[in-house]
Amino acid sequence: MSRRLSRMRADVRSWSRRHGYSLLSSIGSLVRHPLNSLLTIAVLALALALPLGLYMALDNLRQVNQNLERLDSLSVFLHIELDEANARRLGSRISAWESVLAVDPISPEAGMRELSGAIGLPKASGSNSATAERPDLGLAEVGLPWVLEITPADRTSLDTLSGRLDELEEVDLVVIDLDWVRRLDALLAIFLRLVEIMAVVFALTVLFVISNNIRTEVQQRREEIEVLAMVGATPGYIRRPFLYAGLWMGLAGALLAWLLVVAGLWLLGGPVGELAASYATPIMLAWPSPNLVGGLLAGSGLLGIIGAWIAVSHQLLRINP
Amino acid sequence: MITFEHVGKRYPGGTQALSDVNFELAGGEMAFLVGHSGAGKSTLLRLIALLERPSRGQVLFEGRNIGRISSRQIPRLRRRIGVIFQDHKLLSDRKVFDNVALPLMIAGHGWSGIRRRVHAALDQVGLLDKQNMRIPTLSGGEQQRVGIARAMVGKPPVLLADEPTGNLDPALSAELMQLFCTLNELGTTVLIATHDLALVHRLGRRTLVLEGGSMIRDGTVDATDSSSDPAGSMGARQGSRT
Ligand SMILES: Nc1ncnc2c1ncn2[C@@H]1O[C@H](COP(=O)(O)OP(=O)(O)OP(=O)(O)O)[C@@H](O)[C@H]1O
Ligand SMILES: [Mg+2]
Repeated sequence: MSRRLSRMRADVRSWSRRHGYSLLSSIGSLVRHPLNSLLTIAVLALALALPLGLYMALDNLRQVNQNLERLDSLSVFLHIELDEANARRLGSRISAWESVLAVDPISPEAGMRELSGAIGLPKASGSNSATAERPDLGLAEVGLPWVLEITPADRTSLDTLSGRLDELEEVDLVVIDLDWVRRLDALLAIFLRLVEIMAVVFALTVLFVISNNIRTEVQQRREEIEVLAMVGATPGYIRRPFLYAGLWMGLAGALLAWLLVVAGLWLLGGPVGELAASYATPIMLAWPSPNLVGGLLAGSGLLGIIGAWIAVSHQLLRINP
Repeated sequence: MITFEHVGKRYPGGTQALSDVNFELAGGEMAFLVGHSGAGKSTLLRLIALLERPSRGQVLFEGRNIGRISSRQIPRLRRRIGVIFQDHKLLSDRKVFDNVALPLMIAGHGWSGIRRRVHAALDQVGLLDKQNMRIPTLSGGEQQRVGIARAMVGKPPVLLADEPTGNLDPALSAELMQLFCTLNELGTTVLIATHDLALVHRLGRRTLVLEGGSMIRDGTVDATDSSSDPAGSMGARQGSRT
């Protein structure tokens, strides 16, 4: 019994030693051709950095989008003859609605200031079509109505709410000025799908690059493989250093891709910060999450092993030692 | 230990390298394999190590028909046979030490054990001081001795040597033959293919003679017995060839 146990232990020991030698041998071959290895790793890193970078861009855009969604509102233009008292009364009436979170009445003067600020005209003097015929007439003289800025309680009921507001007789026009947010949503969905497709394409690229690299490596070491087989190495033993080499390449490529993307985000941090400051909403650039990085490393490493396996098995069959 | 029964080997090109070869080599025996160039000596050795499969007959190793064993079992068989190849088959980008250590690493020996045994094997072939040199920087004879050290480092029960002394001066080849004899006395079964007829005569061991793929003689010769010299005709042939 104890003899059997000690034999088992010896087996495990020699197994782990064989793995150790393969590991050293795989690192040895990477180090022996440093330029070749570096070039391959660079190609892998670029192939992985592209989908990862796009994914991070998408992730950040989605966050910005979520920030924007909180700014969702309806602009309700009242009839021009409605005075301040009526406008405010209507405002407080609407604010009692369940589907409405807040109502913010905007006076014509305030609207004017906002408008001229947005257009960038010093005195908001006639450059739109309505005032083109009367160049002496400023926007103020055309007159703006009272406007109620309404924040809905819940974003999904935006359409029903705007319909209900439209039916009020004091209301001239309801503007949902967030169509572009919806378009952005749709665009982001397309973008996400694109990133997914690219991720698959570039995963295949990683597989092929590593497979091809291992294939040439196997061809170069054909003599060595023959000798190993002649002195009694199992196919598994012969294959193992190549599988490790594939794993190293995959891991190194993923690591470098991660560094590239982090560097890219860091470079983008400055301009994005300025943009965020102008919107008065603090936008924090999201970094790749630990899960994403872990998945990238594991996935790329696994692809490396699979790619190497394909190449070596094919070559072993051809060499048939 | 090794039995050939009506073994024939035809290469894909059409060359009939061996035809109807029969012999038996008992465990612990030592024998020489002679024959002119192209007679099929290397082919016979390659069949034992399963580097080729016979196209006719069967090769038995320890009672098992090795022509039939699955390719999964080949590595295990090869570890029980140390082969010294005619063209060395060394790894040219590795050091002498790493080449000799190869069979032990494959078998999963511990590092200290590997060091000890590699040093012992290199010492036996007189190359201990060259253990850190690369193969291309060695002379032909030194490379051959590295091959010998690699074949015996794992202490396999069977040693096959294909022209192990081809590139060596007479003194050195006599010394290495003595090494093979010593290994044989310690229990190793040894089969040596060689052209060195003088040495074969002097040692007076069992000698298998191949000619044109057939085994034309199988017996013991000694230097004094010139009438039954199985390699006599061989010697003449060799002489005329060169
Ligand atoms: N891989 C091969 N494919 C085809 N023919 C081969 C192959 N190996 C050997 N032969 C042929 O088989 C015959 C026997 O070759 P082998 O190498 O066994 O001779 P040998 O006795 O070892 O000769 P030498 O003393 O020159 O080494 C030769 O005619 C050779 O051309
Ligand atoms: Mg030969």
